[in-house]
Amino acid sequence: MNERSVVIVGLPESGKSTFLGALWHLMTEGDKDTVLRLASLGHGDRNHLNALASRWRDAKVQDRTSTGGNRLVVMNLADRGGISLRVTFPDTAGEAYQHMWEERECDSDVADTLKGGNVLLFIHSDTLQAPMWVVDDAALSRRMGLPHVQNREVAWHPRLAPTQVQVVELLQFLRAGPLDTGPRRLAIMLSAWDKVAPEGLSPAAFLDVKLPLLAQYLRRNSRGWTSRIYGLSAQGGDYDPIEADAARKPQAEELRKLDRPSTRIRLLGDAPETHDLTEPLAWLMV
Amino acid sequence: MTDASAPNIVCANPVCRVAETGKCVEGMDLDKCPHYGRSPQPSMPEPKESVDGIRLAPGGTLNIGEAEVLLRAGETRVIAVIGPSDAGKTSLIAGFYDLFQEGAVAGVEFAGSQSLHEFEHVCHDARAASRRGTPHINRTPRGEVRFYHLDVAGDGDDALLSLVLADRAGEEYRGAIDDVSFVEGFPEVRRADTLTLLVDGERLLDPGARHNLRSEVTLILRAMIEGGAIQSGMRLAVVLTKKDLIYQSPRLEGTEADFADLVATIERQCEGVFSAVRPFRVAASPKTDAVRRGEGIDELLTFWLEPAPTVPTVIEPAPLPDRVFARLSPLDEAEERP
Repeated sequence: MNERSVVIVGLPESGKSTFLGALWHLMTEGDKDTVLRLASLGHGDRNHLNALASRWRDAKVQDRTSTGGNRLVVMNLADRGGISLRVTFPDTAGEAYQHMWEERECDSDVADTLKGGNVLLFIHSDTLQAPMWVVDDAALSRRMGLPHVQNREVAWHPRLAPTQVQVVELLQFLRAGPLDTGPRRLAIMLSAWDKVAPEGLSPAAFLDVKLPLLAQYLRRNSRGWTSRIYGLSAQGGDYDPIEADAARKPQAEELRKLDRPSTRIRLLGDAPETHDLTEPLAWLMV
Repeated sequence: MTDASAPNIVCANPVCRVAETGKCVEGMDLDKCPHYGRSPQPSMPEPKESVDGIRLAPGGTLNIGEAEVLLRAGETRVIAVIGPSDAGKTSLIAGFYDLFQEGAVAGVEFAGSQSLHEFEHVCHDARAASRRGTPHINRTPRGEVRFYHLDVAGDGDDALLSLVLADRAGEEYRGAIDDVSFVEGFPEVRRADTLTLLVDGERLLDPGARHNLRSEVTLILRAMIEGGAIQSGMRLAVVLTKKDLIYQSPRLEGTEADFADLVATIERQCEGVFSAVRPFRVAASPKTDAVRRGEGIDELLTFWLEPAPTVPTVIEPAPLPDRVFARLSPLDEAEERP
């Protein structure tokens, strides 16, 4: 069996665990035509993957405390030609990537997984931290007739940096110094695409408009990335919190009513919209 | 094919490209450079593993050794931003970076940076996240020169170019007026492709302060020249900063005239010193929205990126062979007659 690994990267709550839960459901259910399919359950502990998929089917959020630490996820898949692939995904907490940006170091185990192969990068499209300037903020307040109440100065912290800057630095880390393994393929997954789809932008146009620094960096291809951009709605809407006494989301209830949970999944790239989450994986494994 | 008659130029400094450019990377005359003519030495070490994990690139400003590695690695423009204190040197550098947050600048795109972390730090007090009432940029502390790095590439041109922007406390440049020997400690000026001299727009607006400002600016430049820091082919950008304040002032016309007069004085005093002298007006980090944030920086960037003028290199002629026969060379073929 051929061994493949895909590095899953993303800041906290960018949709990595939701993707894995949806993918495992799609593979085990086998109810959609996909480029890759499940070859066998295989040996080893599937508890983590099953827990992710279970919460996904229940339309409950993937809480980091319940998914626990860093895990290595293994799937035995096969392509349409019947070639078996043992695919490993390190399910690393987004905090580890935030730590890299903020503290300029990474755990040795995380470093080893980051050298593992081509990259699946998650960016939550609806919670982007966009750069804003004092002068623009003040002008906007003035135009809206609002007082520009400030003077509660906030000291610099790296976490305040725009999302696009943190993501560019993560990619630079992967192509420099101790983490560099040469040119790599990069699939960018703009998660929660259903939230931003009404803006009418394609995923590539969204990157240009909302994350222009990242778009420039990739366009100039200065560090040997070959990239594709996808809009991904793996949840299909708002999910319920995991706390038993928390208020339920009406959208989660609607999603649970769907006869086939796989139809919640929507992936938009260059090709027509699909439910097939394995399309970017197959491209990354070439 | 190599030219067998060209001398083999070597330098002990591994980042020096004297063989290609004819220029010492440290801006020194070749006969005074202690590295010229000696074999190269190893370059920067890789990040090492720390107790807690693997150290990654710091993302800060670069020291001179780290900047030299960039100079060696590829096409580079070194920009020395000089001027008195509070002229807006760091604001210009930070404002320049911040423009790329919203897209290409003058058709030039961001391609990477080794200074992202420090760029973000220095930009913070002009960002809404700082919750300040007005934008602010901290003054550069006294000490060694520090370099900000940006890789850029132009429209339809895949070739990358590294911009290395030097930042140093204004007090140190001001000190060169009192003692020209200070200039020896300004390697960033000696190595600059473009010297960018800032003229504080706020002080030029002040009828009481403008004369001293003009004097300081011209004397700093004169100190750089007399201190031997200006190399052949260097360009000079004379940049009027804080354009937003000037354009809202009733002294707009008078200040414009003062700036034009200052530029004319510099051109007269520096005739033949620089390959080009050009004035610019910028609002890198305006206090209000009276002018566009970063206005004028796009034109300055275009000037910074202009190809470095080729410096004529004196190449020693190859020694004549001992044997007379070996000195013979073929005659050009006679032109065909009609």
